Amino acid sequence: MTTRYRLGIDTGGTFTDATLIDEVTGNIAIAKVPSTPADPAVGFLAASDRILREQGVAPEHVGYLVHGTTVATNAVIEGNVAPTGLITTDGFRDMLEIARQVRPSLYDLRFEKPPPLVPRHRCIGIPERLDAQGRVVVPLAEEMVRQAGRRLREEGVGAIAVCFLHSYLNPDHERRAGELLREVFPEAVISLSCDVAPEFREYLRASTTVINAAVRPIVARYLSTIEEQLRAADFAAELLVMQSSGGVFTFAAAQEKPVFMVESGPAAGVMAATYLGGVLGHKDVISFDMGGTTAKAGLIHDGRPRVTKEYEVGVIARSTGGGAKGHGYPIRTPVVDLVEIGAGGGSIAWVDSGGVLRVGPHSAGADPGPACYGWGGTEPTITDANLVLGRLNPGFFLGGEIALDVDRAFRAIEDRCAKRLGRDVLTVANGIVEIANAAMTNALRLVSVQRGYDPRDFVLVAFGGAGPVHANWLATEAGIRTTLIPMSPGTTSALGLLVTDLQHDYSVALNQRADRLDAPRVERAYQELAEQGCAALRREGIDAADVRLLRQADMCYVGQSYELTMPLPNGIVDAGTLTAVLDAFHHAHDQAYGFSAPGEPAEFVNLRLTAIGTIAKPRLRDAPSRAGDDRSALKETRPVWFAEGGGFVDCPIFDRYRLAAGTVFAGPAIVEEPDSTTVIHPGFVARVDRYGNLLLTPDGGESR
Amino acid sequence: MAALTTIDPITFEVIRNALVEVTEEMSVTLRRSAYSTNIKTRADFSCALFDRDLQTVAQAFAQANHLGSLAEMVPRIVKEYGPENLGPSDALLSNDPYRGGAHLNDLLLVSPVYHSGKIVAYVANLAHHVDVGGGAPASIGAFREVYQEGVIIPPVKLVAGGKIVPDTFNLVLSQVRAKDETAGDFRAQIAANATGGRRMAALIERYGVEVIAAYVAELTAYTDRRTAGELARLPHGRFAAEGCLDSDGFTDQPVRLVANVVIDADGVLFDLTGCDQQRRAPVNATFSQTFSACAYVLKCLIDPDIPVNVGFYRHVRVVAPAGTVVNAIHPAPVVGGWEVNSRLTDVILRALAPALPDRVPAGTKGMICHAGFGGVDPQTGSYYCFLETLGGGYGGRRGSDGPDAVQAHGQNTENAPVEETERNYPVRITRYELVDDSDGAGRWRGGLGLRRDYLFPDHAASFTILADRDRWGPGGLFGGGDGRLATYILNPDTDATPLGAKATVELEAGDIISYRTCGGGGYGPPHERDPELVLHDVQQGKVSPERAREVYRVAVDPVRWVVDETETVRLRGDGGRP
Repeated sequence: MTTRYRLGIDTGGTFTDATLIDEVTGNIAIAKVPSTPADPAVGFLAASDRILREQGVAPEHVGYLVHGTTVATNAVIEGNVAPTGLITTDGFRDMLEIARQVRPSLYDLRFEKPPPLVPRHRCIGIPERLDAQGRVVVPLAEEMVRQAGRRLREEGVGAIAVCFLHSYLNPDHERRAGELLREVFPEAVISLSCDVAPEFREYLRASTTVINAAVRPIVARYLSTIEEQLRAADFAAELLVMQSSGGVFTFAAAQEKPVFMVESGPAAGVMAATYLGGVLGHKDVISFDMGGTTAKAGLIHDGRPRVTKEYEVGVIARSTGGGAKGHGYPIRTPVVDLVEIGAGGGSIAWVDSGGVLRVGPHSAGADPGPACYGWGGTEPTITDANLVLGRLNPGFFLGGEIALDVDRAFRAIEDRCAKRLGRDVLTVANGIVEIANAAMTNALRLVSVQRGYDPRDFVLVAFGGAGPVHANWLATEAGIRTTLIPMSPGTTSALGLLVTDLQHDYSVALNQRADRLDAPRVERAYQELAEQGCAALRREGIDAADVRLLRQADMCYVGQSYELTMPLPNGIVDAGTLTAVLDAFHHAHDQAYGFSAPGEPAEFVNLRLTAIGTIAKPRLRDAPSRAGDDRSALKETRPVWFAEGGGFVDCPIFDRYRLAAGTVFAGPAIVEEPDSTTVIHPGFVARVDRYGNLLLTPDGGESR
Repeated sequence: MAALTTIDPITFEVIRNALVEVTEEMSVTLRRSAYSTNIKTRADFSCALFDRDLQTVAQAFAQANHLGSLAEMVPRIVKEYGPENLGPSDALLSNDPYRGGAHLNDLLLVSPVYHSGKIVAYVANLAHHVDVGGGAPASIGAFREVYQEGVIIPPVKLVAGGKIVPDTFNLVLSQVRAKDETAGDFRAQIAANATGGRRMAALIERYGVEVIAAYVAELTAYTDRRTAGELARLPHGRFAAEGCLDSDGFTDQPVRLVANVVIDADGVLFDLTGCDQQRRAPVNATFSQTFSACAYVLKCLIDPDIPVNVGFYRHVRVVAPAGTVVNAIHPAPVVGGWEVNSRLTDVILRALAPALPDRVPAGTKGMICHAGFGGVDPQTGSYYCFLETLGGGYGGRRGSDGPDAVQAHGQNTENAPVEETERNYPVRITRYELVDDSDGAGRWRGGLGLRRDYLFPDHAASFTILADRDRWGPGGLFGGGDGRLATYILNPDTDATPLGAKATVELEAGDIISYRTCGGGGYGPPHERDPELVLHDVQQGKVSPERAREVYRVAVDPVRWVVDETETVRLRGDGGRP
């Protein structure tokens, strides 16, 4: 076994995490190095170097490497993209300038629109036109395309996006324009909208294509630097990148379609939750990831994470209310559906001018950090509140790396909040936690109830440094019976990089009424997508036996615009298949919106195919079963505040690493490990499963 | 009773967020399940939650303009119908402008929320339907009285006991042109209220009726307190401005709007005495539309973080004499009432400019700018209707240019994607672009207007323009120039015929209607604009070299793309300082 190791490198804003799994033993090792935003490749290579050195593993023994990176997103947010040109239909060159014609904030007289990624003088309209059936109305003015190519070359542009109206129905003009541009400007990197996002609604398609084009040179340079250095250091591993959808693709594919990896990092956490749920037989999981600045909730149904295509790059906190869009740059590629809110350990508590206690959205971040870090922060944070309530151990935060100062936390809450509210510090500290909990419960509801899922059918998988502190309470509020806390919750996201499959997503616009649909035509379309997907996986060295194809269709009632994505069975599509899908659609519509209209015509908008190259997953290591019982794992007893206990109660504190499989104990209890703390409330029991996961359920209830 | 509940600041924050969430979930349901482009894509709707006393508790805005309508109309129609006549899972429908409504296209649906056999709250949503019958497709156009504008619906049950009332449903549908879309949009409105009702009932189940009532009372007191605190910080004085709509649809006599904003220890008073008498023409606003304009301005002046409910509305004090264009009385037509609302907002902001020069923009688009059309779709043989509204230039602000091509003030509807429009309606959009040189010049220039051309390739259609700004562009501030006028043209590339800003035209196959909306007003003298910014505009093609020279007095070298310093100094005669 020469290539028994898998390596994951996750580049975050502050740290670059490396995770190394030994496929034979299931051992997982972790290393952290500071990120290097100026040149993230430096941090990447330092992290990989460090973990291999620490574990004594030679680079040639790594068979598989997956990278999670925000390099594409950062390029967009920081405006640090390649000079790009846009070629579009004559009369529509201002698509990016006009965008949706809305103001991002309703009551702000001083609002700004995000500046277009392609300046207006590099957006060129070309005479050509298709109608809404894809028929040519105006032929492509080929010479004008050549002229435009020459002009963009003179402008010093490196990347070109091409987006013609209705090209999702008929790509001929775009493909021809691509050829002509290559003729006159062979060095240019060209992205065609019919390749990147072949779906209707021109602004969304153009925006997606432009982002792809504009980050391609940056991503290509970044990934090829890493690849060269890894090869020079004797790495033979397959090099892969995490996509926003939760699958991985090769460095080569990422360099073609980097817009598919904008949300590379957050997807990893959801994939880890998917994997952990799968190992334990839970196919319906809500993932909850709480870190220093935000909390993110995702939903996994039937073993697959939910993905969305409504996403704007450059927007920090998201929820999905009816409010205005237009803060960022929309993309129409699949992104793991996350509800992200500004509630993390560093979120600041404050009293507003109306005398009400608030939490967030401002965060103390890592600098100055919560007051209790003693790094100069004076604003009380959620972490400070948890510390004052006894939930965090001042001497064992990050395994003792940061000594927490309870007095500073207490004073911060007192000075900034408690005095103004005229309440005692403990009541206010508990209030801070409750307000944050309510916001996070809302995030869990948004990602489930609002999408038509009942959270009571799901298991909560909670991770991130702060997730397990709050998870038990959140689950109860959301009606979730079972909460799973994986081992080392602080590095669960990094684990997610190593438990994914190769994935390629394809779609084709159909725009046909269900009652006029020709089943063989649908089958042919899926076959074509399948051929593309299988070919891509073959190139990546996947055996035909390991290929899985998922067919889906975006559907709506004729006249609606927001589609529901319905799964189709594999196998030849016939009239019976279509009827079954249509029935399922009516049902799903009723679930999502509270009504269906079986008498109304429905429409197949897009056909989607996901080609998955299954990759063997690492085994989880069994937890020691005789290492100790709950007595030997008991570190101490200390007073911890529980509102339901009427204040401080004596609470046992357990060392997670000494908890044996099969151990069962009742709350109130605290379980500590270096990168996180699990709080178990009175009325709940915790069980340790064979892998060391903690399962929290109501006392008297059975874990499902 | 309510007074006995102790208010805990933590529970307060939790309940406050939960109440807003009720309305947010309603919005998502409505938008995602709606049929018409105007609702599903352009988001021309709003949702709100009311307490059992019919006071606004929480709102989710897609359109700020609707907020005043909801706050005015819901109490009126529920009281008139009688809460005792509303059962669980009933929904009351109305669009009557003279019962607190706006124009007929805005259909309100309100439902009681029951708990233990009693009404404990109401949920409501207002959505702009693409057609409600009347004299022209999309129900917009110049008429003499409200009866010509479409079906007038007094408060009637659309839903009883969770089931659509077929008599109501069929009677309304028989009056409208786009029946399938209207039916689909009704279902979406019903679903939204059902969602809101369920969420609210769950909240009440959890906390109890009296506890929720106590917290709602505290919530409105909290908003009241904070709003008062913010308003107390505004400079005192009486600030006045005048403006006008260009025409009323029948005559070229401008429609005069007068705003006196009085800020004193009591807060802010919007005194609109002096506005023109109402017209037998579409440019009349109902009181709720006028109230919405004033509420919008007031909301812009306070901390955006303050939640909106009756505690805020209490501070919106409006004097609008009955029988004027800002408080029309029956039977005046009102379809252009939002045009009045939009311009009135501009006039009020202009009045405030001397008091708040750092916050107030120069003149904006200041019109709704409707484009509505319909006819028989040659492919399907059924009647179709389409409506959208177009953005324009925003005014320059101290320190920053007015953004190009956006909606203004209480209106924030999205554009209809060209591909979606062409797929669903038998029209072709042949141009959609910025209008170069339409900016009001200024040290901080106004935004550009936009052009949109509609071609009807294969059938006769009826097209209505209901807009403005074709005689006076948005005003500049503090020495800035006015934005360029809007124009509305039939067949611009062949035998161009200018049309008025309020016109219904019968089109033949092959005809094109071209909109070019106005630019925003400039802020500060244009010759003080940083020459580098002028250069950038010229390079982007937004400002021509000629206009740069004549208006901004900046000479641009179009070969090297630099400012010709010597020539600019000569033109400006002041050393070319920014």
